[in-house]
Amino acid sequence: MSAPDGITLAGVGKTFTGRGKVVEALRDVHLTCPAGSFTAIIGPSGCGKSTVMRIALGLETADTGEVRIAGDTPLAAARAGVTGVAFQDAALLPWRSVRRNVEVPLEVLRQQPAEHAERVQSMIELVGLKGFENALPGELSGGMRQRVAIARALVTHPQVLFMDEPFGALDQILRRQMNVELQRIWTETGSTALLVTHGIDEAVFLADRVVVMHANPGRIVEVIDVPFERPRQPPLFSDPAFHKVCDHIAEVLHGG
Amino acid sequence: MAAERSRHRGLLNLAVLLVLWEVVGRLDLVAGGALPGFTEILARLWVDRGDYPSHIWATLYASTVGFLLGNLIGIGAGVVFALSTTALRLFRGVNVAIFALPPIAIAPILVLTLSGMAPRIVLAALGVYFVTMTSTVIGLSQADSRATDMVRAYGGTKRDVLRLVQFRGALPTILAGLRIAAPNAVLGAILAEFGGGGRWGLGAYLLGSLGRGEPDRLWGIGLVATLIAGTSYGAFALLSTRFLGATRAVTLNTAVPTGRPDPGHPLKRAALAIGSLALPFVLWWAFIRLTGVPDMIAKSPLGVVDYLFFAPTAETAQAKLLAALAQTLPITFVGMAAGLTFAFLLAISSKLIPRAVEAFMPVALVTQTMPLVALTPLLILILGRGNALTLWVTISVTFFPAFVTLAQGIALVPRTAGDLPRVYGADRTRS
Repeated sequence: MSAPDGITLAGVGKTFTGRGKVVEALRDVHLTCPAGSFTAIIGPSGCGKSTVMRIALGLETADTGEVRIAGDTPLAAARAGVTGVAFQDAALLPWRSVRRNVEVPLEVLRQQPAEHAERVQSMIELVGLKGFENALPGELSGGMRQRVAIARALVTHPQVLFMDEPFGALDQILRRQMNVELQRIWTETGSTALLVTHGIDEAVFLADRVVVMHANPGRIVEVIDVPFERPRQPPLFSDPAFHKVCDHIAEVLHGG
Repeated sequence: MAAERSRHRGLLNLAVLLVLWEVVGRLDLVAGGALPGFTEILARLWVDRGDYPSHIWATLYASTVGFLLGNLIGIGAGVVFALSTTALRLFRGVNVAIFALPPIAIAPILVLTLSGMAPRIVLAALGVYFVTMTSTVIGLSQADSRATDMVRAYGGTKRDVLRLVQFRGALPTILAGLRIAAPNAVLGAILAEFGGGGRWGLGAYLLGSLGRGEPDRLWGIGLVATLIAGTSYGAFALLSTRFLGATRAVTLNTAVPTGRPDPGHPLKRAALAIGSLALPFVLWWAFIRLTGVPDMIAKSPLGVVDYLFFAPTAETAQAKLLAALAQTLPITFVGMAAGLTFAFLLAISSKLIPRAVEAFMPVALVTQTMPLVALTPLLILILGRGNALTLWVTISVTFFPAFVTLAQGIALVPRTAGDLPRVYGADRTRS
């Protein structure tokens, strides 16, 4: 069992029934993320990697198995403000300014945004959006919106940070920039991070361990340790050792 | 500016129409003077100007109170229905009944069972309730699932989702509903005034002037009623546009809806269906009991069944009803189809040739917000009591709400969703 503020999934299974079809989204998933670690989940579309995250967030309930977030059930952990989340596609409220979007988790947790004005401001500055506090999402670029989502995920100072393809919609250059920034931010907060991604290089650059999943049924096939020192610098992306790890993951992904 | 030019064109169209009206009216071309010239109507309005304030005030009072009451109940019920599918299913019968109740048929009943301003307020509220309730439910259930997930991921309850995401997201849809509801309230109030008693109110004024054979005064009343209804529509249309821009999602939500909601246990479903069917009758019965009106005037559900099937006069009653139905139904379908087609075409054109539609809008608005009660005596003068009249009324009743709903739906499509087809060379028709 992990330290109390990590993530633990034990024997988790989930089956969806919809449109006359039965889909086994997850079968017997065991995953332990120690406190302060960075774990990436990678796998083809439909392998259930987003479902793992949705179950850990309490958005779905597992049919079998047990989930613990910092020693609590997902819902209790969420209510206690332990978790932070950034979804694919930002999911900002279009009628709220950048600042008011970052404040949403505080409002859900019944904290007074006014008391945390400084923290909100520092998060906006952390993701490099100083000067855009009053802009509406429609006035921002895709990358800026995604950074708002990151700031929003961090504003509660979460012990456990979930990210579901947070940079999925960004181009490669911006994506690498954001990866470097995310590493910096994560190091500063010291939280336990779980990242769901499609990008092998993104996973290897950011994570301590990469979890590879296969589909039908969704399951974990291998967990690969990433040995590189931190802080990792952009030149790592062109390091042969880096590519070796990436190639290995690609093999596991495509192999049976 | 294109918008300004189209507004000019709209005004121009209106002016052309007015001149045409004036010429036709002055020459008494329609039904031997049933349509007076526009200036003749204005002159008559000026002569009658002393009469209007009290009538307008009475109508405004009843329709405003009814509008507020109907919206309060409508939005409240909409929120309850959006939160609980059980409540929605249980009240389906009541909602359909309220929607289907022709105001013109229950106006006399309300006038007989209630007193004072009450029938007017109730009828105005009834005209508002269904529109507002439906748009609230639709607006709330259209919420972006990505944003609701985010709130729920922080342990947010249904109420948090409602407060932070759904309500603001539903605002343009609710406001679009209110702009149909507002003229409905005016219509309801006038109808109740027309249907019974009372000294003040535009409907009462209309009723009092009907027998005197003065089309210019009838048209004057119609114009004033149209002006009130049109203003209320315009005010909410303005509000709705104002809120729409900031509500549209920047990107299209690609998340797959999580299948159909759990239909529940068959027994529970059956109980809900029976409850939903029974509830309107229970409320009907309760209304009769609570108001304590004699059976002669307002029949309870059992009374109606008795009248139609068991009483000695049942056979004649049935025959009369069937004959009336045979008269009404075909016209209804033709009118409905024509109204819907017209609304659909116009809604599409508003995207394809926005300027032409904008130019046409003022004219459409005037004809459509004209309360039908005020219009009906005049239409009877012009068209006679035949099928043409029924057809005209059916079309105009169908057209307006359908058009507003369609246009609103098209306007809500996120910007980026329209970009993709355009990139592939599609013109406005195909995006």
